[in-house]
Amino acid sequence: MARNSSVGTYVRLRVAAEAYAVPVGQVLAIVGPGDLTAVPGAVPEILGVRRLRGQIVPVINLALVLGLNATAPSRQLLLAEADGVKAGFTIEEVTSVSELSAPLDGAESGFLLGVMVSDGEPLGVIDVARIIESLRRAGS
Amino acid sequence: MTDPDTELREVFHEDVTHRLDEMEAALLAIEAGDPGTGMIDSLFRNVHTIKGTAGMVGLGDVAAVAHAVEDVMAVVRDTGTFPPGLVDPLLHATGAVRGRVNGADMPVDGLLEELAGALTALRKAGSVAVKAGAETAPPGSADPRVPGSQQSPENRLSPGALEVPARAVPEVGRELPGPAVAAASRHIPEQRSVRVDPVKLDNLLDVIGEAVQDGRRLAHALGPEAELPTALSAALSAGVRTLEQLRDSAIRMRTLPLSAIAGPLPRAVRDFARSAGKDVTFTVAGADTELDRVILESLAEPLTHLLRNAVAHGIEAPADRERAGKSPHGNVELRAVPRGSLVEIVVADDGRGISPEVADRARHEGSLADVLAHAGYSTAGEVTQLAGRGVGLDAVKSYTHSLGGALEIRSQPGRGMEVILLLPLALAVMNVLLFERGKAVFGVPLAVVDEVVAVSKPSSMGGRLSLTVRGRPLPAADVALLLGGHAPPLRHLPRALIVAVLGRRIAVLCDALIGQEEVMVKPLGPLLAGAGYLGAAILSDGRIALLPEPAVLVRGRPDAVGQPGQPGQPGQPGQPGQPGQDRQPLDPPKILVAEDSFTVRELQRIILQTAGYQVVTAHDGTEALRIIGRDADIALVITDLEMPGLDGLELTRAIRGNPARAALPVVIVTSRGSQEDRRRGIEAGADAYMAKHNFDQHALLATVERLIGR
Repeated sequence: MARNSSVGTYVRLRVAAEAYAVPVGQVLAIVGPGDLTAVPGAVPEILGVRRLRGQIVPVINLALVLGLNATAPSRQLLLAEADGVKAGFTIEEVTSVSELSAPLDGAESGFLLGVMVSDGEPLGVIDVARIIESLRRAGS
Repeated sequence: MTDPDTELREVFHEDVTHRLDEMEAALLAIEAGDPGTGMIDSLFRNVHTIKGTAGMVGLGDVAAVAHAVEDVMAVVRDTGTFPPGLVDPLLHATGAVRGRVNGADMPVDGLLEELAGALTALRKAGSVAVKAGAETAPPGSADPRVPGSQQSPENRLSPGALEVPARAVPEVGRELPGPAVAAASRHIPEQRSVRVDPVKLDNLLDVIGEAVQDGRRLAHALGPEAELPTALSAALSAGVRTLEQLRDSAIRMRTLPLSAIAGPLPRAVRDFARSAGKDVTFTVAGADTELDRVILESLAEPLTHLLRNAVAHGIEAPADRERAGKSPHGNVELRAVPRGSLVEIVVADDGRGISPEVADRARHEGSLADVLAHAGYSTAGEVTQLAGRGVGLDAVKSYTHSLGGALEIRSQPGRGMEVILLLPLALAVMNVLLFERGKAVFGVPLAVVDEVVAVSKPSSMGGRLSLTVRGRPLPAADVALLLGGHAPPLRHLPRALIVAVLGRRIAVLCDALIGQEEVMVKPLGPLLAGAGYLGAAILSDGRIALLPEPAVLVRGRPDAVGQPGQPGQPGQPGQPGQPGQDRQPLDPPKILVAEDSFTVRELQRIILQTAGYQVVTAHDGTEALRIIGRDADIALVITDLEMPGLDGLELTRAIRGNPARAALPVVIVTSRGSQEDRRRGIEAGADAYMAKHNFDQHALLATVERLIGR
């Protein structure tokens, strides 16, 4: 890939055996899955809540949000914050943190900033802020 | 909440309130014939300062009234005579100024006439008093010759003098004699305080709370204390103790003493007693007891109501008291007593107490608080002008419950009454009853649990569970189904929590009871705002206990009731935003709260949810508008005035400008309570305008109820 001015740093990860990336600016931390407490009455995308640094943080089933069939268990949580709302997203694992060129526009899903091909593999760039905003509207 | 103008007004509000408290205390002491030395000087000084600062923040009408009072006090100071007839007009003035700085209307003309009349009368008598009284009348002595009600039209202040414009302020320094300046500046002890964003304090509490957990986990990982080396065990427990102290001090940073709101109360009690024709002495004890500032701000209104009740319904007329063998003089006391993590606020009177019939009913029907709080109940034979209106004890009871506290009443016929509000020391701390269902832990505020019973056999009637408790059938339901989740079948011999809220009782079935615990309530955040929880708590073993809204327990979820065993249908993958719950007509009205302050937002959410409403929150106007656009169920909007981005006025105008939602009721709740702000709010199309200074949740709920027509 040709490097140009719109190169950015991304966290590359796997969700339901597919490759995705999240702009590093949207990621607070990668943490272990922790003990999950289910919240009856919540939307299905919210698996429950967990304790994190004295706060209670909702855990979101990222595969379900993206419309994927998660087969492997989630081993890590990607912790993100948008608009003052913190949330953890279930992922299989983080593969690397690397510089990538800007994604192509025109992705189908509303939750992708775009798609690109990297190392011969299609890579979706996830818009974590949009997912949080969408769940915020659904949850209220 | 951040612009300098508001900051200035907040400081002004604090300062003026303090000065009005002092002035009223002095006036009441003078009226009681006990003027301390320097009272007249202090009255003069305080009103002078109020005049100056009122002009500074643009409250011309307050400045005008203060100016008129100052004129009166100047004569009093010069003549050294304070006729008793002056107390009333001056108290009217302090009352009106207090109302005005709290955002109420002030009918300034009548007041100025009254003060002008007092001034004229004073001048006439003053010339006599100066001559004759200079040797005979000590300062503050009674001069019955001068009734304050005398009006002499030709000596009224001219209309032009009524409007003291803000530019009158620079005169302050010139007018004020030197010694008074020195006195004024030492008049309030300099208590330098630091303004901290409550969100920062909450973050601090979060981190400290986690550190306390870490300490406990470490202790647990090290094994039984008895097997540890002595030095290690001592160091460990010292560390845990220090952390707990740290947490307590952080909680205390959110507190203020009761005296912060008690200032206007003596005056209020005096007025109640006057209008009821009673002779009452009012005392305040434990005024330095500290309470969460959010609780404290909401406490003034229920306290005033209880005091009014005590005077109007409790204390007998002087003649009746003498017939009953009591002193004709009634006593009313407000006292605050810390009780562990709770604070007991007691309103006590030595009046007639409850009737023998009520005492009898309380013996048969449960607590006295329940019987008396039964809506509309009054201990007086007839509804008086004073206490017949307004909120009743039921409102006070639901107020205490909404804060996770409780209401207790002690009384015996003929022996007076004590109404006790048990309130949490800090809003973030709640006394809950913890129980288990499946592998999950839940907690409900202790205040809404009547009792816990062991269930041998719930009976099923027409597919619904019911339970016989003390001979009466009660609807019963598995807590997992009430909350819309699923869990394995209930354990053999389950427990039932009898939960009573919103006038309904239900037996909530769970597997086992864990016990009572004081927990710090943490919000679940906006993503779970509609899930039906007050919040969650982190338990000492690190588990999370969810705290369901009591209203959800007695009401159940629309999709859970009548479909036992069937969890809510799952949403379609890839479509967040489909909660899978069909909204049914029995859904309570949904209210949108737009407010950028976390504390105020949380307070309003808890108040509204405890009253049974659904609540959606937005942290600014833009977000609020977005929510209104996509959620047709929003039945009312409560908005702050100052918010980043789109503010409350712009939000109101945007709603009014949208043909589809133009009729949506809008309530503005704000720290800006001036006439001008109110006018702008109403012009923008708001249906109601409430000031945060005297934020009153009963008024809020009454307004919401009126506008929604529920």
